This record gives sequence, C-alpha cells and structure tokens, in this order.
Amino acid sequence: MNTVLKHMDCRNFAPVDVAKGICHHTKELVLADVEHCEHFVATQKCKLCDHFVAGAQYLGTCNAVPQKPMTYPDLITVTCEMFMAAAAKA
Amino acid sequence: MIRTLAEVLEQSGTPIRLQAGGKAPDTVVDREVKKEPCPRAKKLRDLYFQTLSSATNEFPYWYTRKYFELDGEVPVVRRAAALKEAFSHLTPTILPGELLVMGKAHYYRGSFPMPWLSEAYYMAKEDELYQAALAKGSSSVDELSKFGAGGGNVTESFGNVVSIAGKFGMRREEVPALLHTAREWVGRSVDDVGHRYEQMVPEYPMKEAIMRGIVCMFDSGYTLPQGREVVNYYYLLENGFDGLIQIAKEQKAKVAGRASGDGLAGMNRLYNYEAVILILEGIQAWILNYAKEARRLADFESEPQQKREYQEIAQRLESVAHNKPATFPEAIQMIWTIHVAVLNEDAISGLSPGRVGQVLYPYYEQDKAAGRITDDEVLEWLQLQRVKFTCIDCFASTGVVGGVLSGNTFNNLSLGGLTKEGRSAANDLEKLIIEAAICCTSTQPTLTVLYDDKLAEDFLLKATECNKTGTGYPAWVNNRGAIDFLLNQYGPEGMTVEEGRAVAIGGCLETSPCSWLPLHLDDKEYWIPGGSGQPTSVGVHFISLPKILELVLFDGVDQRTGQPVYPPHGKKLETYEEIVEVFEDYFRKTVDCLVATNNIQHDIWRKQNMAVFNSLLKPDCLLKGHLINELGYRYNGTYSVESCGTINLINSLAAIKKVVFDDRTAGLENLKLALKDNFGFKEASEVRSFSLADQRKKDESGKWDYIHYLCLTAPKYGNDDPYVDTILKNWEDWFCGMCHDYESLNAKPLYACQISVSTHAPMGMATIATADGRLAGTTFADASMSAYPGTDRNGPYALFESATVWDHSLSQNSQMNLKLHPTAVGGMQGCKKLLALTQAYMRKGGFHIQYNVVDSKMLRDAQQNPDNYRDLMVRVAGFTQYWVEIGKPIQDEVIARTEYEGV
Repeated sequence: MNTVLKHMDCRNFAPVDVAKGICHHTKELVLADVEHCEHFVATQKCKLCDHFVAGAQYLGTCNAVPQKPMTYPDLITVTCEMFMAAAAKA
Repeated sequence: MIRTLAEVLEQSGTPIRLQAGGKAPDTVVDREVKKEPCPRAKKLRDLYFQTLSSATNEFPYWYTRKYFELDGEVPVVRRAAALKEAFSHLTPTILPGELLVMGKAHYYRGSFPMPWLSEAYYMAKEDELYQAALAKGSSSVDELSKFGAGGGNVTESFGNVVSIAGKFGMRREEVPALLHTAREWVGRSVDDVGHRYEQMVPEYPMKEAIMRGIVCMFDSGYTLPQGREVVNYYYLLENGFDGLIQIAKEQKAKVAGRASGDGLAGMNRLYNYEAVILILEGIQAWILNYAKEARRLADFESEPQQKREYQEIAQRLESVAHNKPATFPEAIQMIWTIHVAVLNEDAISGLSPGRVGQVLYPYYEQDKAAGRITDDEVLEWLQLQRVKFTCIDCFASTGVVGGVLSGNTFNNLSLGGLTKEGRSAANDLEKLIIEAAICCTSTQPTLTVLYDDKLAEDFLLKATECNKTGTGYPAWVNNRGAIDFLLNQYGPEGMTVEEGRAVAIGGCLETSPCSWLPLHLDDKEYWIPGGSGQPTSVGVHFISLPKILELVLFDGVDQRTGQPVYPPHGKKLETYEEIVEVFEDYFRKTVDCLVATNNIQHDIWRKQNMAVFNSLLKPDCLLKGHLINELGYRYNGTYSVESCGTINLINSLAAIKKVVFDDRTAGLENLKLALKDNFGFKEASEVRSFSLADQRKKDESGKWDYIHYLCLTAPKYGNDDPYVDTILKNWEDWFCGMCHDYESLNAKPLYACQISVSTHAPMGMATIATADGRLAGTTFADASMSAYPGTDRNGPYALFESATVWDHSLSQNSQMNLKLHPTAVGGMQGCKKLLALTQAYMRKGGFHIQYNVVDSKMLRDAQQNPDNYRDLMVRVAGFTQYWVEIGKPIQDEVIARTEYEGV
C-alpha cells in the first residue's frame, strides 16, 4: 500500500475532480497527487481505519462487520459510523 | 475535374454552406447579447470549465455492500435499504463561495456507475465478459459513437487517472474496487437478467441483427431506464421530510396485512411504504452529512463572510432535512436536493425540473413582499442553480452518453404555458430565470418556452433576447399542440383539459404529463405544476429510417456489414408503392420485436430496480401505496417509438419516385449500384471527416456523376413542394398511427417520438449513401423537421409550410432547428422578427423550433482552435452543449446547416 500521504488525503482538501481540489486553508486549487503541506490534517479513509485489512493492490477487507466485505484503502470514510482511527497507521 | 462533394453540389446548383436570405459579412460576427454572471456564479462556472468529468466508486460500493447483505429481503425493501446505505455514506464536499450545495458525488462534476443496471460496460477490457459484450449489438454502437476531445471529457488516461469510456476519469486507486463491485453483479444486473429473458422472444435473433446493424440505437431498460420526464417537487415542499415519513408510517399501519380488495398487489403496499421510509431516511442522512460538513468548515474558517455563509448553509440544510421550506433560499435548496437525489437513484438523463418559476413563485412572492429577499439576490441564486445543473453528469455507456446525448443531461426547465384556469402562467420569477440564463450562460438547465398566444409580449421578447445569446435556448414549444397530444394519449387514463395545462417538457423535447397540486405557504394556497407520469421516451429507441430503406432496397441485407437483418422480401420493387409497402413491413417487424424485448428489459428493471424516491414524489404513489412498478403513477402510457433520419428518408423516397419511377431517368438497379459505390466518393471514415464539404471522390471516372446529379436535384423537403411534402404527410400519418398498435409492458399504447438528439451522427455513419444524394457515413439531417443542410432554398416560411403538412399533435413531438446569422436578428427589431417567425411556425401547428444564432465562420474557427472557445455553446437537436464537448461528426453537421442571413 502506498503510504505517502498527499493533498487528496487531507481533510481540508475539497475534491473538485480526479486530479485536483481546493484547499480550504489557502482557497487555492491544488493537485491531488502532490505530497501534503504543513497544514495537513488526515481525512478518514479505510486505509487509516483499525478495521481495515490490506489485500491485493488497492483492495482490502473491512472487519467492522461479521460479513467482512471487500473495501479499498482510499475509500473516504468521513460518513462511516464504524471508522476507528488506527494511530499506528496514520 | 470535380474532386469534392462541394464542387458537385456547386455544379448541380445546390451549393453547400448555403446562406439563405442574404449574405453574411465576411468577418466573424459575435453574438449580440452578452452579459456577465454575478461574481460568485462566475467563479464557480469558471471552476466548472477547469473541471474534469470524474467518476467515483463510493455510491456503488455502499449500495452493493448493503444489497448483498440483505439477501432474501423483499426486493423493494432491499433496494431501498441499499439506496439508504449509499446516500448516507456519500462524502459531502462544499466549496468556498457556494451557497447552493450538494451534488451527485464528492467531485464537482461527479458521477458514478450503477453496475446493478449493467456491469459489462465498465468491466470492458478487464473481464472475459467483454468478449460477450462485443458479441452484443451495443458494442457496435459504442464503436461508432464519438465524444468531443475537449472540455472536461477525460478521453485518455493520465497519471493516476484512468479514462473510462473516453469520458469519465476515475482514480486508479478505485478501479480494482469498481471491478470487484461489478463482478458481484455479473448475471444479476438488469442487463444480464433481461438479456436472459429477452432471448425467449421468438424474434430475438432479428433484434440482435437490428442492433448490430444500428437500425436501432439502444435498449432503454438497463441504459437510461428513467428520465425524459418531469420531476415533482410538490410533496416535499408541502410536507418536508419529517412530514412525509410520518405520512408513510401512518399509511403503513393502515395497510399492513390488508389486501383491500386487490389480491394481486394490495399486500405490496406495506413493503412499499417501508421502502419509502427507508429512502427518505437515507436522503435525510445525506443532507445532514452536508450540514455537518458546513458546521465543520464554519468552525475552521477564519474569514468572517465565508464563515457566516457556511453557518447559513448548515442552518438551511438542517431545516430542509426535516421541515418544509419557508423561504426562497430554502425552497431552491430543497428542490435541488430532490433533483440530485432522483438522479442518484437511477441512471437518468432528461430529468426535467419542469416549470420551476411557477413552483418557486410562492416563496419568491412572499419573500419579496416581506422584504426578505431582493431580485438581485434571487438572480444570484438562479445563476448558482444554473452552475449546479451544468455540473450534472450522467454515467452510462459511450454509445448512450456520447452517441445519443453528446454528454448532455437534458434538465429542461419550462416557462410560460397556461394556469389551471387557462390564463397565462408566466410570472416575474420566470423573467428572472431567463435573465439568469442570459447572464450565466451554461448548458443546464436548458429552457423551453411553452408558447401560447395568451403569453404577454414583454415576456416573449425577453425570451427572444435570450435566444440572441447564441446558446440555443429557450426552445419554443407549441403549448396547445402539446396539450392536444396529452389529451389524446392520456385521456383514457383520466386526463382533463385542466390537467393538460400543467404540461411541461421532460428531457430535450418530450411532452410529459403533469398535474396541479395545492401548495400551502403562510395560509395561502398556490396550485403548482409537477410531473405525474412515468419516464417518457423509453421503449423503442431511435430507429434509423434511412437504414431501413437501405435494407428494403437490398432485400434485407446490411450493406455495411454484409449481414442479413430482415428476412428477404424477394420482391423486384417494380413500383414506388411496392417500396413503401416493404418499408412499412420491415418497420413493423422492427417495432414488433423491439417492443417485445424492451418490455422484458423494463419489466426486469421494475422488478429489481424500481424507483422508490422518484415514485414517492409523483402523484399518486403515496396515496395508493404503489410505486412505479405497480402503476402508482397517475399516467402510465408513456412508452414511445423513436425515429431518426426522417428527412433523409423522405428525400430519398422522393428521389426514387422521381428518378426511377416518374421520370425514369435511371433504373433502380443502377441507382443501387451507385449507392453501394457511394456515388464514386471515398468513405467518410477514409476521408477522416464527416463534413459534407470535405467528402472526396475516389477516382476521376465520373461514373456516377449523372445519377448523383439526378438524386441531388430531385425534390427536397423544406421548399413547400407538394411532390415531396405529400410523402412526408403520408409517412407521418402512417407512423403516428401504427405506434398505437403496440402495447407497452404497462398495457398502454405506444406513441411516436420524433427527436434525433445526437443519433443522426452514429446512425449516419452506419448507413451507406442514400438516394437523396447523401454520402455514406455522413450525418443524417438533424431533428425530424429540419431540412437537410443546404436543401431548404426557399426561405424559412417555405420550410414551415413543408413541416406543417401533417398534424404534429399526433406525435409526442417534432423537432425543427434553424441556424440564424446574428445580423439577421440584430437589435430590438430583430427580437420582434424572431418572435414573428416563431409565432408563424407555432400558429401553423409546428410543435417545436429552436435557433442557433451564430456565425458559421465562428464555428469553423472553433473547430480549428477549440482552446479559444471553451464557453462556446450550440444547439444540437433539443439540447445545448459546449462546442468542445461535442464529437466531430455533430460539429460538422451543425456547421453544414443552412445559415439564414435574413428572416
């Protein structure tokens, strides 16, 4: 799993499209794939959740429910009631 | 030596790039009316111009996860629970400067696939099912459909972005999950299940041949099963979410365990109400997630005005999530939320907001009277609404989104028309809607004026001013004709004249049944119009009339593929009447098998993918306890047979009649050889241009020059010539009548729908040369009543005479596009001329007309220098689209249209 955190992993990154977003901090357009700045605040994603188990590339498993469904590392989970921050991963 | 079609046409006395009624100035003339959006809307619209069409797997992921968790649940409840899960997990994104918030996905121009409808499409190249998909007709259409290369289309993969279908970009990190999600639906999607059963129709092999030959474009059951309809905002405006949930709970208690005299579906009401509650709760959660995000941003924000705006957004959303709106800002937020929610429930194009100016008028009137809002503030909201609508993308296959829709989503806002009591329904808010469309030009929502002689002249002139922005809107639709059509079609379902007056246009040009409902605001009652019918323009999608004529002439064999499509008729075609007779026989065979197979696809759709949210919005689902799949809608006779290439068919029949049978200047066999040999020209694909003017000869033999000359100079539609206009009338009378002989899955008669959208490009590409002189692979005439480019040589009034030889109210629509040079309608005098022109067509019984007020030279320059024209828009056929996002075949066709220099 790619652990380099980018603008697109930041809570203050408002995605505009697949390549860029607006930084709520600067109000400027920033590229999604550029490494984050000093104002970075990690957003909630599966890859940062304690229930996430990495699988094949870009895939994983959610252990939060008994069925253990497929999930993927970059699924944004700010609305997931089961998200549990994994400090070690963050 | 003649080398190009342009030279042939010049020599035959029918020069291409016809300027009628005068001569355009040599220099490029810009549009006369140009205004700027308000700063907030401008900033957000400029951002749109920089935004890529972006797809995400978020909604499909949560939907699929919940759906398969609920194996064994009652289908409608299972679907509603999956929708609730998906809505409540969508990531909220709010951008600085936004007041109107919420969107389809967390991207600004976001969308997502729905593998439960069809999974094979985006598993292409990644899954063995791709080969099976190739064997199906739909792949042929995909191959012939082209997106524009510019604008926000992600036509190629780059960096960590994967291009899907040449339009949508998806993050690389999401693609494996998308494919995993899609695999879950293999064998279970509407496409797959429907396909299993449609093969049980005895005529199924013919259907496959029809689709491969592109005699027909698209099944509708799994591509865009809903849309081309008018949404209804009423119930939530009147009751709010909490109120509707309460109503559903009370109804649920009343019907639980009781059939109430309906042994077939009575018991279903319990499950339906349960589903209604679930979906309403899901959308509530979605709204509240946005509210929470607005609160978070307000806490984070240091700039005072932006902080206050975030706080106000949060307050509005927290209110709208529970209560009926009390103010104009709350109401416009509410209807936008409803609109997006319906679009997220299913793959939809052409979900029209309807007569928004009349729906929102109560809030406008009362806020203005109370001093709560000014016209300038309303204008800003309306411009922001335009930007939001323009951000809507529809995720479907290349063939559907590119080949049919040109990337457009057809959110058509209707203006004018009549009130319930038969008075002019136009109001001051509608004038502001037009002004917003003038200031903030954008593709969505497109506008349509429901023209009625009772509408005031100042309102009508305001609309003509808007036409002069060159955006192609508003279109003009004959209100009386539309009501006549509705009463013919829906009278048996109980429609009255009063209810017919609620009409609005769904999609680009689909006359849609609507109803009046009483809205209460501060103890005052307003009757507002809203949609009350099922999706229209579903059923038999786009039959290529010139292609069928090709098959008639060649005994049922497709000359592009060499494959048989129909059983051989074995006739010598010795008379014109015999050709018409075989044509009608093949056409009937086409409709018959497509109705049967599409009925099955739609039946599978309604059994496992039924609309829950859209249903509860429409009368009388909440009252009856039945959703769309159990005919809960007030009007259910909405299926159609769509045609394409009408004028090429008519001109070709006229040429055959004239050249082969009346004048006998060429034999039919010789004509067929000329058609097969493309009149001695190269194929358009070989020339790599679909522009008529660019077509080039294969050699210098001149073998087919004379017969081509005869075909080109045969009578042409659009010149008030009874020779050819009689053929049109006979065709229309027969076509509009025969549709009633076929029955939809709802056991209602079908009707004719005559719009081309963008199908005239790919269908033209699949058709060899036609007897009217059109060359192989080139685009058909647009719309259904537009003349073939350059052939309407007697001015617009002659064109109108030709177009109105038949009764347009027999059909759901007809479509006429006219290109006017800006100088032809310059100044206030020009506005009046434009209005007089429109009125002339409407009073003759024409159903629809729209104008491209643009200099063709500008379009040619835009084709060469697209980067200079990111905001240039043109009207294609029932919709307005950014020039750079249109495929080249359609660009070529729009350029080729006759340009009127005077009216």
